[in-house]
Amino acid sequence: MSDEILSFENLTVQFGGVRACDAIDGHVKRGSLFALIGPNGAGKTTLVNAISGVYKPLPGAQVQFHPAGKPTEDLLSYRPFQIARLGVARTFQNLGLFMGENVLTNLLLGRYIHEHTRLIEGGLFTRRAVKRELAARQAIERVVDLLDLGSFKREPVGDLPYGVQKRVEFGRVLAMEPELLMLDEPMAGMSVDEKQDMIRYIYAAQDELDMTVFLIEHDMSVVMSIADHVMVLDFGQKIAEGTPVEMQQDERVIAAYLGTEMAEN
Amino acid sequence: MTAVENPASQQEDSPTYRPSPVQRFLPFAIAAVVPFILGSTTENVNFWWKALITVVVLAVVARMAWVWTPRGELTHREDMRLWRTPSDRSWAAVTTFGLLVLPFILASDFTPPMDFPWATWFAVVNLVLIFAMGAAAFNLLVGYSGQISLAHVAFLALGSIVGGIVGVQWSGGNMWVALPAAALAGAVVGAISGLPALRLKHLYLLLATFGFHFVMMLVWREYLQEYFGFVGIRFKGENSPRIASWLHWLPGIDPDDNGEFIITGQFRWYWVLMPITVLSILFMVNVVRTREGRAFAAVRDRDVSASLLGINVARSKLLAFALSSAVVSMSGVLASFYIGSRGEDSFNVQTVLNYAIIIVVGGFSSIQGAIFGSAFFWFLPEWFKWAREELWIVRDIDFLSDYPSEIDLAIKGFLVVIILMFKPDGLAGLWKDVKGWIGRSLARRGP
Repeated sequence: MSDEILSFENLTVQFGGVRACDAIDGHVKRGSLFALIGPNGAGKTTLVNAISGVYKPLPGAQVQFHPAGKPTEDLLSYRPFQIARLGVARTFQNLGLFMGENVLTNLLLGRYIHEHTRLIEGGLFTRRAVKRELAARQAIERVVDLLDLGSFKREPVGDLPYGVQKRVEFGRVLAMEPELLMLDEPMAGMSVDEKQDMIRYIYAAQDELDMTVFLIEHDMSVVMSIADHVMVLDFGQKIAEGTPVEMQQDERVIAAYLGTEMAEN
Repeated sequence: MTAVENPASQQEDSPTYRPSPVQRFLPFAIAAVVPFILGSTTENVNFWWKALITVVVLAVVARMAWVWTPRGELTHREDMRLWRTPSDRSWAAVTTFGLLVLPFILASDFTPPMDFPWATWFAVVNLVLIFAMGAAAFNLLVGYSGQISLAHVAFLALGSIVGGIVGVQWSGGNMWVALPAAALAGAVVGAISGLPALRLKHLYLLLATFGFHFVMMLVWREYLQEYFGFVGIRFKGENSPRIASWLHWLPGIDPDDNGEFIITGQFRWYWVLMPITVLSILFMVNVVRTREGRAFAAVRDRDVSASLLGINVARSKLLAFALSSAVVSMSGVLASFYIGSRGEDSFNVQTVLNYAIIIVVGGFSSIQGAIFGSAFFWFLPEWFKWAREELWIVRDIDFLSDYPSEIDLAIKGFLVVIILMFKPDGLAGLWKDVKGWIGRSLARRGP
């Protein structure tokens, strides 16, 4: 079990009469790039929300996180901010940035769990607070360099183009240095060039920063080129799971993406 | 040097330059020392000479601070400084000088032409200081942390209550004990008053905190009946704050004939209020630019994504309430001792609205805006009054002098609407524009 970082079993999320996720099982290997794909409304984001604690799944579900060198944690017993502190970070499909604040502040917020400055220390701007603040800035330096955000540092995030905003949000989760990085459609609405850049960044995060990536993606071609393991959802059900090549040939997956008639031809 | 639109690009273009440590602090040292030299030479120096020296020193200090600023690629430590750009440093030096020289100007026996209300200004300046402190704390909570609260005046009342118990009853006019006590009480009660914020937002939170206002008024009434018999608390006379005798060796403190140094009169009050206000505002500015302050902004903008960054949203909200209420309670103590007596009618609903006007006009979510807002709030009526009495044409209109307070309110309301329409970020935004304009025109002219 030591090569697994996350496992969820029997995960069901229900909104009123709708089952957004229906008894989904899955295992994410440490250091791998796990992709979750599926058409619109398949329940991909709901699954991530359930893992990160935003939604509560129905009883009977199990979500277990295995941090390296530490005991296994049952994520369902924690609140979202505690899950983040355990080392599970995520981005949002429609951006979870703080639009009024500048890029630097947004990135520094990613260091919140690693800094330990108290309110009064910060207010008095004690030597220790300054030291920690400097450490936080040095830590995000690496992210700023990796994502080429240097020229935007002082700009309010709300004024930046969409592609850069996506990068800032990605930078913020990288600054958190999580063990498990969950990216909710990081490439949605991007141009081909920007997508290429983002793929490069994701690889860098995985290799250099030693993170496991859990990726939600719409674009099949992207997933096929980078994922190690793919899970396909449709209407809240897991319809297939395996390597990208297997998924490309799986009839149920083709049916879900292209419709049944096309698949029959 | 060509016109530069944006100070950031200016820094990147210009060659690397580092001032020596002496150069860095010299303008501020001059700005801190010269006012006291000017103030202590009272005899035989014409006011106009002093005014001329003041202006020259201001210009020199501003220029020195401007030139001796690190340029080029900034290190993290330099980038973190509160006053980072040449213009920031320049204005900081000017403000330091201005704050220190102001009481000496206002206390001088110079009378401006046309009976300009010099004498009343000193009182207004002191009130602005008290209000700026309270409004900055209010803005930190409502503007910066996004927790709409109307319990502001309740904490002014709490400050008065703590001032009454600790400062007057227990220690017979010891404001120095009352201040930390009020801060502590304010923090605890503030965190309790913030509990509704964990479940409520926006208008609902506003109503819940407004309820807290009436609860506090009830406490006040009970307390008054029990201890003071409905009159109010007297902070004047034998209850005036004083400097303890073991501190009388400090420069500038000459005890009165009875061997006591009582803080009374505008000049002495200024030297108490100004440092406290400046320090508490600096404290809040520092909070805002460090970890917990950033969390306040995160919770305001998107609480779900804040919690996924590891921020305990409930704790962060309560911290914002506690910090804000602590500072407001301290400003309540200062106001009580400064004004001298506080009764039930000192804490009406109107005052909450006044503070709301201050932070909206000054600039929402800007601590600087709170200072501008309180100056706007207190100086405007003085100018109107002066204009009604002295300004030609205006003084001949009977209608204006027949209904002074109504006209004041109407003009004030009108100005608030104008500011909100054309400058939604308030006077702080206007100031930013002016600063940018001055900086650009200076840059165009070249050094």
